[in-house]
Amino acid sequence: MSIHAFISPVFLQELKLRHFRCFETLRCELEEGMTVFVGDNAQGKTSILESACILLRLQSPRTTSLQEVIRFEERSFAVEGELDDTRLQIGYSQSRRKLVVDGETQSRSGDYLARSGVLVWMANDDLDLVRRGGERRRKFLDFMGSQLYPAYRPALRSYEQALRRRNHIFKRDPKIDWNQVDAYTELLVEHGQVLLALRAEMVEALEPLAAEAQTRVSGENDNLGLQYLPSSRDAELGEAYAASREEELRKRVTVVGPHRDDLVLMVHGRPADAFASEGQQRTVALAMKLGQAALLRQRRGDDPILMVDDIFGELDKERRNALMQALPAGSQKLVTTTHLDWLQDFEPDAIFRVADGGIATESP
Amino acid sequence: MDAAADDSFEKQNAVHKVEYPPEIKTLIGNLKRLPGIGPRSAERIAVWLLKAGSEAVGDLAEALTQAQARVAPCQICGFFATEEICAICGDESRRGESLCIVEEATDILPLERTGAYRGLYHTLGGRISPLDNIGPEDLNLEGLWKRLHEGGFEEVILAVGSDVEGEATAHYLAHSLESYGVKITRLAQGLPAGGGLEAADDLTLFRALEGRTRVGEG
Repeated sequence: MSIHAFISPVFLQELKLRHFRCFETLRCELEEGMTVFVGDNAQGKTSILESACILLRLQSPRTTSLQEVIRFEERSFAVEGELDDTRLQIGYSQSRRKLVVDGETQSRSGDYLARSGVLVWMANDDLDLVRRGGERRRKFLDFMGSQLYPAYRPALRSYEQALRRRNHIFKRDPKIDWNQVDAYTELLVEHGQVLLALRAEMVEALEPLAAEAQTRVSGENDNLGLQYLPSSRDAELGEAYAASREEELRKRVTVVGPHRDDLVLMVHGRPADAFASEGQQRTVALAMKLGQAALLRQRRGDDPILMVDDIFGELDKERRNALMQALPAGSQKLVTTTHLDWLQDFEPDAIFRVADGGIATESP
Repeated sequence: MDAAADDSFEKQNAVHKVEYPPEIKTLIGNLKRLPGIGPRSAERIAVWLLKAGSEAVGDLAEALTQAQARVAPCQICGFFATEEICAICGDESRRGESLCIVEEATDILPLERTGAYRGLYHTLGGRISPLDNIGPEDLNLEGLWKRLHEGGFEEVILAVGSDVEGEATAHYLAHSLESYGVKITRLAQGLPAGGGLEAADDLTLFRALEGRTRVGEG
């Protein structure tokens, strides 16, 4: 029997927003296949996708602070949705966050996320994954890791908390009391080791899947390779901290650890940021996201929801078709675009026009 | 709602605005400073006190005065005491070789209620928290070093919280205590009593696994 018999797509059926970004309120029924949001720039298309992302994963790909998505002059926002048979609800204000699953308030975000679904976010600025610094790639790993491993998010959060305090001591004290700093070093080691192990495992599993996606989209064998590069290199994390004291004293900041790790993307064995053509780089960015979808499917047994922000309209016909073919067929797709010309080749299940803080159904 | 209409409504009312007499406002102001009391609660309490009669209010005032005048931190451990030293430090029947370190004096009572501990305590009066600008120098550590220096302790139990601040405080203390040659232990973390595995979050379960205890020979 094929394992695919057990794979069911995650299906977000209904989405309701309140005081979210430019929307006073909004309600829409999403389709199991492809739902398209069309509209001019700055009408809120991406915000709709973002709200779905926050509802499912409690984080936004556009901002680190949920405070920012609260509508102008309001004090809180709420997003609600029907995911498969589960009703999810998040309410957020500066002082309070409320998570509800099927009418029951969840005090721990881990419990909420365990009942939620998985997703892959694809956007034009994915190219930054290839071209820009390590931060984008760490974010990519963290977003994926949080969806793959229940232990990832708590470890990341504890690591970041300890890191902030440790750096604060470096900034605050002219003379460093290492005993005090090391109280946090031990926390960095404890939680950092979890992150290192999970990231290494994740990258190893992702590599063949991303390489396969690369070949499928580009039509030729680019030999996409991924290499996880911890800033601690081969050293034990504890030793790496011990070895960097002098540098830390000089720079007054924690210079080594998972927050400085990188993921090297290679085409034919050479770093893609420097040696790949622009076309190749764009394909690598797509392949990373498609590989992520494949890994989530493999590990979680669910086809992740794909949120595709403003990509299709920007591609030429050939690459558009190649990308569409490469997207997992079973996945629910939420797509934004500024124009509908390209859509005739595909068959969206629903089209919504987004304008003036509202949406209207448009016949496909 | 119509903003203009709302506005004029406010104005009309402003003319006749009546407030509490200053005595009550002062009372409410003082009550609001108490932890956990918001403006609404402060108002409710103030009105209740006014109605409660002079005896009840006198009792309350007396209780406040007495508590303030007679209770002070124990000179040795920092727990609440009416003498120079508290009931725990003065209890000869306690095991003097064991010292349990807590963040706040209020942490001692829950530990006492377990009945499982018969040793002594030391109150830090806080925990290390760089972001709140609280460092080791703000904690009652001098007293701790002095007690340990005088000797007699075989085990120090770190009974601090398990959040980042608590963990960092524990690491700091564990390191600073190394030179005293005492056994250093921490409270175990694990499954909540009376709960199934499904009730525990991942980190709790992970720590419960790490701190598992032997139940049989084999």
